[in-house]
Amino acid sequence: MTGRRAAAWVLAAPLALSLVACSGGQGAAGGGAAGVQDAASFTYAESQSPDTFNPVMQDEHTDPVTEMVFRGLVGHDAQNQVVPALATGWTVSADGLTYELALRDDVTWHDGEPFTSADVVFTLDAVRDPGSGAATQHKLAALDSVEALDDTTVVITLSRPDAALLDDLAMGILPEHVLAGEDITDPAFGRAPIGTGPFELVDVETDQFARLEANDAFYGGAPRLDEVIITYVPDASARAVQLATGEVDAAYVEPQQAAAVEEDEDLRLEVWPTADYRALMINMDDPTLADPRVRRALNHAVDRDALVDGVLLGYGEPATGPLRGPYEQPGAAPSTFDPATVGRLMTEAGYARGGSDGAGPWTKDGEPVSFSVSTFAEDDLRVAMGDVVTTQLKEQGFDAVADPQPRDAVTWEDLDTFVIGWGTPYHPDTSLYSPFHSSQVLAQGGSNLGSYVNADVDAALDAGRTARDEDAEAQAYGRFQEAIAEDPPYVWLAYLQALNAFPADFAGPQERTLEHHGYGLFWNAEDWRWE
Amino acid sequence: MSPAGWFARRAAGSLAVLVAVSLLCFALLDLAPGDPARAVLEARSGGRVPPAAAVEAQRAAMGLDEPLPVRYLTWAGGAVRGDLGVSTITGRPVAEVVGEAVPWTLLLAGAATVLSVVGALTVGLLAATTRSRWLRRAVEAFVLVLGGTPGFVTGLVLLFVFAARLQVLPSGGVGRPGQALTLGVVTAHLVLPAAALAFGHHFGVYVRLVQSGVSRIAAAPHVDSARARGLHPAVVARRHLLRPGLVPFVTRLGVGTGGLLAGAYAVEVIFSWPGLGRLAIDAARSQDFTVLTAAVLVTAVCVLAANLLGELAASWLDPRVRLVGATASTAPGPPDAPGSPTAPAAPDAARAEVLADAR
Repeated sequence: MTGRRAAAWVLAAPLALSLVACSGGQGAAGGGAAGVQDAASFTYAESQSPDTFNPVMQDEHTDPVTEMVFRGLVGHDAQNQVVPALATGWTVSADGLTYELALRDDVTWHDGEPFTSADVVFTLDAVRDPGSGAATQHKLAALDSVEALDDTTVVITLSRPDAALLDDLAMGILPEHVLAGEDITDPAFGRAPIGTGPFELVDVETDQFARLEANDAFYGGAPRLDEVIITYVPDASARAVQLATGEVDAAYVEPQQAAAVEEDEDLRLEVWPTADYRALMINMDDPTLADPRVRRALNHAVDRDALVDGVLLGYGEPATGPLRGPYEQPGAAPSTFDPATVGRLMTEAGYARGGSDGAGPWTKDGEPVSFSVSTFAEDDLRVAMGDVVTTQLKEQGFDAVADPQPRDAVTWEDLDTFVIGWGTPYHPDTSLYSPFHSSQVLAQGGSNLGSYVNADVDAALDAGRTARDEDAEAQAYGRFQEAIAEDPPYVWLAYLQALNAFPADFAGPQERTLEHHGYGLFWNAEDWRWE
Repeated sequence: MSPAGWFARRAAGSLAVLVAVSLLCFALLDLAPGDPARAVLEARSGGRVPPAAAVEAQRAAMGLDEPLPVRYLTWAGGAVRGDLGVSTITGRPVAEVVGEAVPWTLLLAGAATVLSVVGALTVGLLAATTRSRWLRRAVEAFVLVLGGTPGFVTGLVLLFVFAARLQVLPSGGVGRPGQALTLGVVTAHLVLPAAALAFGHHFGVYVRLVQSGVSRIAAAPHVDSARARGLHPAVVARRHLLRPGLVPFVTRLGVGTGGLLAGAYAVEVIFSWPGLGRLAIDAARSQDFTVLTAAVLVTAVCVLAANLLGELAASWLDPRVRLVGATASTAPGPPDAPGSPTAPAAPDAARAEVLADAR
């Protein structure tokens, strides 16, 4: 790594833009500990350490350490399809209410104790205990009972069919012999977790690093790496410098730094899709915005390609709906940028461009279409998106005003629109039912923050979560997408991409659609290796 | 007033300040529009908006539905017994979390203080005693540039030059993960953040205080008289020039600890230093009010202790501080503090000389 390249790194970081590159010779390999590191150790830098390494306290937001330490009954493959993990297989009764799972008999916990059905019963019962405080509790809302038939057989009985159940059982299983009689959210366990995954946590220093060693008894075979170290480096420029000097092998990088990674022949830039989308949530209490034609017009008034290029520097994909993967029906909600369609829909809805030159805002009965575009002021990315969308909407005749607010000052009832983030790479139910089903509206304490109500959407979502086969599921979510195309709850904006720099001679990381914040990267860490 | 009485008074005053700080901290956090219960739920779900019903339940579980005075008294009752509660976000005992961070910040701030004192003395004395106009100008320019550079910029420049380009020093953290924290390892990791904090933070002001404090006195009659009495030039420099000349600098150093710790907050983030600043910023961001309150209190303790130390040092340097102990709480200000219209008049050089020689 030359000094010149290192300079490019720092200069790529926004805070360092004011620096003037000075001349200088080749950098000596100094403080970086390239010499210390053996071939089977791998160090990855991310920005912040999680609050706990407890899988039941991370709701679809599993950090790398927890992801490597724990395993669930099932896992997800590269296509995010459910595959066996601690369970080798399962049968589902005809009414969809009884699941019988066969467990592996060759699994041990990191402390050497055998894993049995008792651990499964303990974990599921503890999580769904009303007082448990587990973040994943809502995933088990349909559970009626959990029983162990023998050491390797568990029977789960539901009170209603739950199509998302298997996906939700990917949640890490906790050790009964460690936590029996304790609070499962015990912070001490969250710092010294014991799981069944390919790596065990051996050392953790708050805000510094977590060091994991290979679990050679891992049921899937001993990992190829001996050691994985996750370091926590909050400053993006510092992360880039450490990557350039070899202090870390790999890191999460910002879009501004992508070019420097690509120029570096020692590194490989991995750009993976995520299920994390941004959209403009619309408050249906606003009579103007409640008109579906106006919301469809808004969807055609946003130039998503420009948004991705301008705000995400190209590292994103235009979003035309809340679904990714097998359930997505790309034709269902095209939402392309199309000023002519904006004009047609607004005219149909009874609006006309005001002003003497016909370039003023859309107006009906002397009232212009006017609304604010809010978001969390602390979130730079959302603020930037809100600004660009506001400008784009203004060009199409909507009197939009950007209005970022401090996170805690946000009162959902009073908003017109809001740059929001949702999405899941797994079963769609969890990320569709809460924001779009009428039973979840804000006034009833739910997460349907825009108070969106549509009977077709309700029926489709109900059918989707109780569907008993893939065809029925596909049909239900197809109907959902048709319904929201006619009556869009949001203005869809963009899916984010996750950027990571890996060493050029490192193999194993396999692309899949990731969770929020690009988590889910280490899903197959047991196969990662130096070439 | 005896030194013990003076100390008791100051300790009582400090305690009152701490109580006031904790009250203010509680009141401000309560007034702030934040909702720690919502923050807890958002932290667990990756920032997704939790349903209102869940937020209500969480508020009750955290005792946030109690009135403010009840919450404060509960907290204060625990704090007096050394129980600062648990982090609302991670559930870990606050004393443990803060206890891990404090030594790192003390180490960083201590190293930065040593660096800035040594640096300011060297550069300031050089500027005060040199006869080269060119050198004085150079020091002035240097001081001007540093004085106008925020600590985080200095930090990034250092990071860029020494870690990224020259690659002679590590860029962050306190050691390599899994490696023993030997003195050598920690020192290597300490150099850049300590330098960023020392030379980015008020360093220019310090140099100026040393320079002006000493050069004013250099022309004072008592120095001439000491020389005339045939005292060794080293004795003249140490006792008659430095001791009275450094009072403004030392006093400013004590008072400047608050600023130093504030600078540490930014430097710790840039250099991944696991100290109080990074902890407090994380806590503020995640609305972990128990940790934030403790971090603020510990910071206040550090500032109060440093101010006391500064006063003690100033009174050792200038015995009049001790003689007028009743007004010790307003330690003699810099005789010519730049931009300070209320600064007391320059010390009576002749009297200072008498006092110093009378010892």
